[in-house]
Amino acid sequence: MGTSAEPHSLVLGLLFLSMPAMGSCSDKYPELLGQLQKQADFMQHTNTLLDLYIRSQGLDKNGLKEHCRERPGAFPSKDALQRLSRRVFLRTLDTTLGQVLLRLAALEQDIPKAQDLEMLSGVKLNIRGFKNNIHCMAQLLPGSSETTEPTPTSPGASPSPTPTLDTFQRRLEGCRFLHGYHRFMRSVGQVFREWGKSLSRSRRHSPHQGLLKGARRMQLSGRNKRLMPRVQLAPGSHRGAPGG
Amino acid sequence: DLSHQTWYRNNSVHFYIFSCSFSGELLDPCGYIKPESPIVQLGSNFTAVCVLKEKCMDYFHVNANYIFWKTNHVTIPKEQYTIINKTASSVTFTDISLLNIQLTCNIRTFGQIDQNVYGIRIISGLPPEKPTNLSCINLFLMTDSSIFVFRATEKFADCKTKRDTPTSCTVDYSPVYFVNIEVWVEAENALGKVTSDHINFDPVDKVKPSPPHNLSVSNSEELSSILKLTWINSSIQGFIGLKYNIQYRTRDASTWSQIPPEDTASTRYSFTVQDLKPFTEYVFRIRCMKEDGKGFWSDWSEEASGITYEDRPSKAPSFWYKIEPSHTHGYRSVQLIWKTLPPFEANGKILDYEVTLTRWKSRLQNYTVNDTKWTVNITNDRYIATLTARNLVGKSNAAVLTIPAYDFQGNLAESKCYLITVTPVYADGPGSTESIKAYLKQAPPSKGPTVRTKKVGKNEAVLEWDQLPVDVQNGFIRNYTIFYRTIIGNETAVNVDSSHTEYTLSSLTSDTLYMVRMAAYTDEGGKDGPEFTFTTPKFAQGEIEAIVVPVCLAFLLTTLLGVLFCFNKRDLIKKHIWPNVPDPSKSHIAQWSPHTPPRHNFNSKDQMYSDGNFTDVSVVEIEAANDKKPFPEDLKSLDLFKKEKISTEGHSSGIGGSSCMSSSRPSISSSDENESAQNTSGTVQYSTVVHSGYRHQVPSVQVFSRSESTQPLLDSEERPEDLQLVDNIDSSVGNLPRQQYFKQNCSQHETSPDISHFERSKQVSSVNEEDFVRLKQQISDISQPYGSGQMKMFQEISVADAFGPRTEGQVERFETVGMEAAIDEGMPKSYLPQTVRRGGYMPQ
Repeated sequence: MGTSAEPHSLVLGLLFLSMPAMGSCSDKYPELLGQLQKQADFMQHTNTLLDLYIRSQGLDKNGLKEHCRERPGAFPSKDALQRLSRRVFLRTLDTTLGQVLLRLAALEQDIPKAQDLEMLSGVKLNIRGFKNNIHCMAQLLPGSSETTEPTPTSPGASPSPTPTLDTFQRRLEGCRFLHGYHRFMRSVGQVFREWGKSLSRSRRHSPHQGLLKGARRMQLSGRNKRLMPRVQLAPGSHRGAPGG
Repeated sequence: DLSHQTWYRNNSVHFYIFSCSFSGELLDPCGYIKPESPIVQLGSNFTAVCVLKEKCMDYFHVNANYIFWKTNHVTIPKEQYTIINKTASSVTFTDISLLNIQLTCNIRTFGQIDQNVYGIRIISGLPPEKPTNLSCINLFLMTDSSIFVFRATEKFADCKTKRDTPTSCTVDYSPVYFVNIEVWVEAENALGKVTSDHINFDPVDKVKPSPPHNLSVSNSEELSSILKLTWINSSIQGFIGLKYNIQYRTRDASTWSQIPPEDTASTRYSFTVQDLKPFTEYVFRIRCMKEDGKGFWSDWSEEASGITYEDRPSKAPSFWYKIEPSHTHGYRSVQLIWKTLPPFEANGKILDYEVTLTRWKSRLQNYTVNDTKWTVNITNDRYIATLTARNLVGKSNAAVLTIPAYDFQGNLAESKCYLITVTPVYADGPGSTESIKAYLKQAPPSKGPTVRTKKVGKNEAVLEWDQLPVDVQNGFIRNYTIFYRTIIGNETAVNVDSSHTEYTLSSLTSDTLYMVRMAAYTDEGGKDGPEFTFTTPKFAQGEIEAIVVPVCLAFLLTTLLGVLFCFNKRDLIKKHIWPNVPDPSKSHIAQWSPHTPPRHNFNSKDQMYSDGNFTDVSVVEIEAANDKKPFPEDLKSLDLFKKEKISTEGHSSGIGGSSCMSSSRPSISSSDENESAQNTSGTVQYSTVVHSGYRHQVPSVQVFSRSESTQPLLDSEERPEDLQLVDNIDSSVGNLPRQQYFKQNCSQHETSPDISHFERSKQVSSVNEEDFVRLKQQISDISQPYGSGQMKMFQEISVADAFGPRTEGQVERFETVGMEAAIDEGMPKSYLPQTVRRGGYMPQ
């Protein structure tokens, strides 16, 4: 798990700027926000991933499931997410999901069944799709070219547990990780819903007020600027790949 | 769940034209053609070159001049040839229009033998057209599949079309919903490459869901008209809401009925279909699509059928009987036969039938029968049989049949109506019955119809009657005839069809007595009914109202206008019809001074009238100084007053003024209390005649006239103290409205009662110039003894000011207070004051 903000921020800066323009993003903020909400709502359900993992690892027997609880600090809490500015929130989300992808790649080794692997592949594709929407949403936010915003750390989202763990501990750790992942997605969905409420409120006043408000929050929350090195990369110079 | 993604083009285009060259090879070719496998665009120019080999040229003793070209075995004109050099000759085609050309290079050897040197096939065509009508469908199937996406951040592998489906391509990727993807098609052939427009969409909006599965149908014992469908939705419902089409039909029907779509517009797992027939098998199918209508309908589900629950039979079975003689004396064998109910009437499986037999005045007997016929021995009496069908739910209504007595014989009578019913009896039961009425012989009715009026109008009358009872008809009533006449007129006859029971007589005379009767006719004759009389009214309904109401309205309107006119012109009317008559009881003589007739002394007390009848009041207060001349501004004010009186004739210019005690409180009067207190003996002989209106009516004017006479007028003139008393009473009663009066300084009552007061009636058209001059002169005289500023003139004084509280001492000066009311209301009118002032008041 990353413990310093700088590597993640650097990676995110690279990520957002280096996303190759494969296709154009939708410029419809409400539509994109709706897609993000629905994705988050869908991905929070444990039957999309955790249940599969528990079943495939045999953790659904003998009360082992009771030990599958989120490890505190593995994922940002809901309160922490709500405190972030929109831009930082998106970066945090993108970073965390990148780490989840890496972790899923590691978990694949423990899944023997081809059918389960296929399902896991679908989950990974969904996460990539979610990251795609995050990228598009970041472009819609005011000041999208700014790259100096720091990203808070994702305390416990390390790509893989320490290698010294035995198989059982590793499986249990994977289960806890996925438990946290679903809880995290639920929190993300709630944050996006708040964005939606803010949008509906701002629509009553001006169409872009919600965005501007988000931008103001972003400006105010740059207390860790020193942690974020200024990165000026030409778009497309790097193929985005979340680091961890 | 995985998905397939397919796109296609609807029009046929040159999608791929793959070249396939053909070269006419010789074992030892004498030369070759360049280019060897040309693909040429239609309409363009093309040049081919044939090059001979040296070895061949030497062998055949030929060169390029010997070359000739053929296309599809036809020699090309030499005009198209070009000899390039000794070994090479070219041919040029302009505007190639054929898609496939076989081109050969030939030489003529030995002057007569044509040899083919080389051959090629020219393929011509067009570059690919831009693929259009690009569409995507996301097949949400229960198979392993994947999706072909281009998103903002990732590019997925291309999908290659297959030769047999060149306008569609299916890619296999897992579906990613709620992410926009971008799709386009690239078409390429030897002549070029084109790209379609890009389409951008969320795959969730292109979903064609798999149909609902495990559709099952169940019925309800409580309701025989419903069936409940249940199904399992496609797993896509985890992502999107669904709406449905549900269709159903009976098993033997070919057309489907559909549940209203608005009833199935959201995700659900079951649906109850209503209004179905009982005990009927229905077939159902269902399909779904995205709730908002985006995407595609799924295929129809597999059909499922169900049978509605039973209901009680809706109809009784038809039945008949056969009578056979019995071996037992006094009995007969009766066989009851009936038909099975059709399914739509049976509403279920008929379990058995229940037969009841009832003999005349005997109790009912029940029998349960499982067959459709039943034989029973009964007596020769008359019986009534009933039959009901029973199923699981209940029994049908009963069919009733009368089995006549055995000794029934047909003694048919004349003039009697008989109902003849014929029921065919088939092998499987009775058929439908037919009935007819018949008479053995008809006769005229024994009684005529009784006619009466239903409604009588001014010129018409509606007659009505009852059908004759069957017993008196004696035949078929063919028609009716209505006869009507007046007392003096001829009788008129009207024929009416027998089906009618009502007829309207028109063109009647109003206010006339009519006599009407009616006859009914059979084929054998008619019979008159009783005569009926009625009288047409003089006026039609509403006619009287139509006359009276406008007249009343006109009268009311006229009256109203008259009242309004009188109200508006009341002054004029009052002036001409009941002019104001002075009330002698209100007469006053303020002062009488025969010695100084020209001088006018205005005593305010003289102008105080207790009856409050004066509405328009002008008030002038003049405080004169005896020993001083009036200030010019005072005289000017008087002039103004005069002018104002002239110009504002008929209008009130002020409010009844203050009493003598008003000097003790603030007043709008400009009178200076101190100065007025010195108002003394500037007496003016003056008499007033005051009237209070005719018969207690409010006088429109107050007449104030100056008396020129030196002769004493009335007792009151002789008794000034009485006059003074009235003044004091007036002053003490504060219920007067506006009054015109003169204000007098009370401190000068005893000694100087003459205070300059002047009032003017509304009806006095103008101030007498002479009077005014006198007035001014008098004021001048009066003002002499007083200092300047003691004479004031005021006009507007409020009632409150005028009749405000008085000092106690002043009230005590009167023996009676409120006498005014007694004088005005109860006491006979008198010219003399009825209250004697203590201390008296002596005119000077």
